[in-house]
This record gives sequence, structure tokens and C-alpha cells, in this order.
Amino acid sequence: MHAWLEWARGPAFVFCFSFMLLGLVRHVGVTIWEIRRTLRRAGDRSLPLTAIVKATLTWLLPADRLRREPLFTATSILFHVAILVVPIFLAGHIALWARAVGVSWPAIPNALADVLTILAVVTAAGLIAQRLAARATRALSKPQDHAILILLALPFVTGFLVMHPGLNPFDYESVLFVHVMSGNLIFLLMPLTKLTHAALLPGTQVVAEIGWHWPKDSGSRVGAALGKEEEPV
Amino acid sequence: MTDSRTKYSFYVEQNALEATDRPRRFLEAFAAVLEHSSYNLPLDVYSRASVRCGRCAADCQLYQSTREDRDIPCHRSELLLRVYRRYFTRSGALAARFGNGFTLTDEYVDEMAEAYYRCTACRRCKLTCPIGIDHGLITHLARWLLAEVGIAPKALVVATREQLEGVGNTSAIPVPALKDTCEFLEEELKENFDVDLKFPMDVEGAEYVFFPAVSDYLLEADTLMGNAAVMHVTGGSWTIGTGNYDGINYGLFYSDRMMERIVKNEVAEVRRLKGRKILIGECGHATRSAWFVPTFCGPDAPEVVNCMQYTARQLREGRIPLKPERIEERVTYHDPCNIARAGRITEEPREILRAICRDFVEMTPNRTENYCCGGGGGTVSIDEIRKFRTGPLGRRKADQIRATGAQIVVSPCANCKKQLREVCEDNDLKDVQVVGLHDLLLKVLDFGPAREAARRAAGEPAADQTAGSPTVLARSNV
Repeated sequence: MHAWLEWARGPAFVFCFSFMLLGLVRHVGVTIWEIRRTLRRAGDRSLPLTAIVKATLTWLLPADRLRREPLFTATSILFHVAILVVPIFLAGHIALWARAVGVSWPAIPNALADVLTILAVVTAAGLIAQRLAARATRALSKPQDHAILILLALPFVTGFLVMHPGLNPFDYESVLFVHVMSGNLIFLLMPLTKLTHAALLPGTQVVAEIGWHWPKDSGSRVGAALGKEEEPV
Repeated sequence: MTDSRTKYSFYVEQNALEATDRPRRFLEAFAAVLEHSSYNLPLDVYSRASVRCGRCAADCQLYQSTREDRDIPCHRSELLLRVYRRYFTRSGALAARFGNGFTLTDEYVDEMAEAYYRCTACRRCKLTCPIGIDHGLITHLARWLLAEVGIAPKALVVATREQLEGVGNTSAIPVPALKDTCEFLEEELKENFDVDLKFPMDVEGAEYVFFPAVSDYLLEADTLMGNAAVMHVTGGSWTIGTGNYDGINYGLFYSDRMMERIVKNEVAEVRRLKGRKILIGECGHATRSAWFVPTFCGPDAPEVVNCMQYTARQLREGRIPLKPERIEERVTYHDPCNIARAGRITEEPREILRAICRDFVEMTPNRTENYCCGGGGGTVSIDEIRKFRTGPLGRRKADQIRATGAQIVVSPCANCKKQLREVCEDNDLKDVQVVGLHDLLLKVLDFGPAREAARRAAGEPAADQTAGSPTVLARSNV
């Protein structure tokens, strides 16, 4: 088991984490490239920049939505905060980074990490419940939408058990192995699944605006490509 | 061997034969659009980032009344995104090879046609989507692709044909009839308001060339008289071009190809008359499609101004004299999606209404979050679906109007007005009157100063001040 754990923490982690990083950078790069290309070809290059910045901030900090759908919005915000803060700012994780590459940053107290971890698991369960309960969401959901929430909760459940050996009924190293591997799997899936939204969300507002900025004469060019220039209406 | 064709004299409609060919032609059109337009950016981002959370359902007035899965905005967008992923991305092609057996079929094309024409493209769901997916953009694109395989509402195609290849406008009004109508309106104004006012025709070098929804000449005479009256009292330099006097652009609802042609015709008319700006009448989609003028014609194209923007500015600057009387009935305002959703025109009409009405109330929600009248996206032109429009699509609007207790609903959009009248008729709101903004303004407009100026210019002595002193309302004392 020990060798497996070393493999999971070593080469497997390096591969998955690099895969995520490069994958997300590629997504962002491709999007920025496309935005530039679209704007360069656009007939109308003026953009309502203030409105876009405002919309982007509103979408990243959806405070006004709390008023409209308090339960779902609160669950979703807490879930996102918890799953982002704990892995990055946990003292144990920072220590690993410091040992491996020699960089470190301020950590959150372990007690707070515990609270956020429990919160992550509870809100993930809440989101699954919501997916099953709300008619429209149930209709849209595919099996992988539920699976990914379970996968996201897994490192938090196992992480909590690792941090509190007294509460852990299983073998310490096995739980740690599941913890590391589920984390690795999430990294691996980040650029391949809808988790990509982690990198693309800040750009969606500008994309929605630029999506309407077509090239000059684009309509007639499509007509020409389809051989329909002379076709009557 | 006998030729089987001589033995069995079968005949197949060309269209029926082509119907089975629709998936291929749909994909060909899709490929051409991806190459020559720039929809790949949003499609690419949306198909990767969509999380299927279902928030949009709560904000769609159609889904709220039908509760059918196909009316969930995200579900509808997914129909097209699936085609995009499968046929135009490498990962989709790979997934297909590994057994994700999605194939674009004839039935699937029909399913898309149904879904994308149940949506009014009001874009309200964009405000709720946590990812910020613009489902209206997807509907817009899907309708264009469907049109390229011959699926588009007859009402829209026939009107566009008339505009581009027939008389020159969607209502098929010939120029002599237009001139007659305008003369009649001039007489009406003379009779009712004692004002000598001209609808200027083909005036070269005017600042504004006027493009209302051409149907206004047949159906909304009061709106046009209001428009003309405002131009008269403010001394605006404007003209109607007899080469093109129709702002309607159904291309916005079903085909960028048509939209471009119609928009370019407007610009050509402005250039012919050596005008400087395009003045759009009270019409939501005419305004939004004209905002695409720089998109299709480049940055040197004439500026686009909506008549409410013009009127509100003149009112603010104190150039619109008003009678002391005000509109006494309770008035509410319906924001047309095409001008309000992106927040481009929301305050101007309210400034005007607050100045002319004593009892102006808001609908909730309003402005950018307003509900569609239920006839958006060109569906209002399809008379066959009136029950659907005023029922599942329009019920929410009817409730909104009822809640305000208003006797008059103002909407500066020919399509919204037609739809709202039908909504009110079919939803037991028979006493509610639906009018345009300039109709109401005309009622309280004071022609005194303009008459005075005309007399002075003609060298006649000034007339006595008639009852009540004219008040010029500036923004500060509204």
C-alpha cells in the first residue's frame, strides 16, 4: 500500500496536476485567441465595456441572485467557496508544496478547514438532492452530473477522515490513497468535462456580447458559400 | 427491359424528395456559417462550460406554464450544441467513434424546428444562467440554420419576400398609397390640433431618415402622428424616403442573410437621400436589427437612433411644450425585449411617461428583467398560433398587467402592441387599452408655440394666448 501511495502522491499527482494546468491554460488560450479573431473580423468592433465588466462581476459574485433563489444560490456559493479554499489553503497541502517546490503561502486554521470540509460534503449532497428534486434540473441531468458531484465530495470525506484518525474506521493509508487518487481524478477530468467552467466562467459575459459581433458581409458570404446568392427569398 | 418510369407513372414533389436530405443540408449550412460568421466562439465556450443546472427554467415564462422538458432553455440550446459537438469538434468526432451514437436525423431536425420556434428569443434566461449562456443567441443561430434547409414560418418568409423582391416593404404598401396615407394624417392633425404639419418626403440632406414599422401606416396612425408632431414642434430635420420606408426586419428572427440584405437597403436609402442618421419608429426588432448596421456595413455606416431616444433628449432640453393637462388614467409600460433586455433603452420612455402621465406605475419585474409579451421572435406574425401565444406564452404578461391595475399599457413596439391586445382580449382584460408611447404624448403636446412661430415667420400678427399657459417641462420639474 505504501508504494501505491507514493506513486499516487508522486508521478500520478504530477501528471494529473500538470494535465489540468495545461488543459485549462489551453482552454483559456483558445478562447482568448477566438475572441481576438472574432473581434478582428467583426464589422462592429465597439463593445459596451462597462456593461461587460459589470456583468462579469455580477456573474462571479452572484449576490443579487440570493434574493431570487436563496436556497440554491446559497448552497451553490458555499459549495464553490469550500471546494476552492480548502485544497488550496489547507496547512497540510501547503507543507507538501513547500517541501516539493519550495513555495508556500498563508494557510487557514485547521478548525476552519474542518468546517469548510463538512460544508463541502453537505452542500454537494444538497446539490445532488436539488438535481433530483427540481423537475427541470432532473430532466437536464445526465448520470455524469451526479457522478461528478459524488467524485467532488470524495476527497473531502476522505480528507476529513485523514485529518481525524480517531474518527476513521478504515486503514489510514488506504483512505489517504483514495483521497489522493480522487483528487488526481478530479484534476484529470477538469479540462475534459463541464468542470472546465472553472476556467471559462470569467469570460462568458464577454463571449455572449462578442457572439453577436459578426463579420462584415457575413450573411452574404454564407449565401455565396451555399450557392444561394441568386436564389429568390 | 421496359423502363420502369414508363410502366409506373409516379410523380414525387421535389420538396418531399429533398426532405430526407435535410440533415446533410443542415450540416452544410452549419459549416458555412461557422466559416464565414463568428458563431464558433460562443458555441465552443458554451458546449464546454454548460453545467446543466436548470436555473433557466425558473425564468422562462413558457416553461413556467407548460412544464414541458423541451421548453427548458438549456435543453433547447443543448439540441444545437449536441450537433455542434458531434460534427464540428474533434472530441465529438472521437466520442462518436467510441460509440456515442448520435446522428443528425430528419426527426431531430423537426424536433429542433419545434423547439426553436416555441422560444421567442426574449433572452431573459441569459440573466439567470450562472454560466451566462445566451440561449437567445443559440435560438437565433438555430433558426437561421433551419431556414437554410427550408424551415421558416411562412408569415415571415412571405413578408420578407415582399420587402426584398416585391413592392419593397413587408405590408406591400405602394408609394402612392404611402403618400395618400401621409396626406390623410396631415389633414387629421390639422383638424384635431389645428397644426400645419408635413410628413416630409424625399428631402435630401435631412438629419434623420425615418424607418417605422411599415405596418404603422395601416394600423398605428396615432403613433405616426405622434412621431411627426414631435419632429414638428422640435424643428427636427427628418424625411421619409420613398425608396425604402420600412424598418421591419424579419431577418432578425430567421436568417442573418436576410437581415443583412434588409439592413443594407436601409443604409442605401439613407445614402441616396444624403441623410445622416437612421431614425427608427416605435418598433423593438426594427431598432435591434438596425443596431446591426455597423456589423454588416462597417463602422462608417450611419448612426441609428430610436425615436424615443430623440424625444427624451428633446424633452430633457425643454424643447417639447406640453399642455397643462396630463393623462389621468393609470398607465403602465411594457419593455420590448429587443430594446430593453441588454439595457440599451429603458429610461427614455419612463422619462417621457412620467412627464405626461399623472399615474404611471411599473410592472414587476421591469426593464432588463421584463417578461416578453409572448409574441417575440416573430411569432406574433403567425396568426395560426394565437392560442399558444396568448395562452402559455402570454399568460404571465396578462398577470403582470392585471397586477398593476392599469387602464393603459404603453409599448413602443408594433409587434408587442399587436400581441398585447390579443393577450388582453384572450385573458379577460377587455378594458385595458394598448397604445404606443407617441400616441399618448400627442394627446398632451402643446402646438401653441409652434403655431406662434409659424405665424411669426409668415409675418402674421400674434394670436391671443388661449386658455392655460403652455408649460415647457424640463427634466428637473418632472
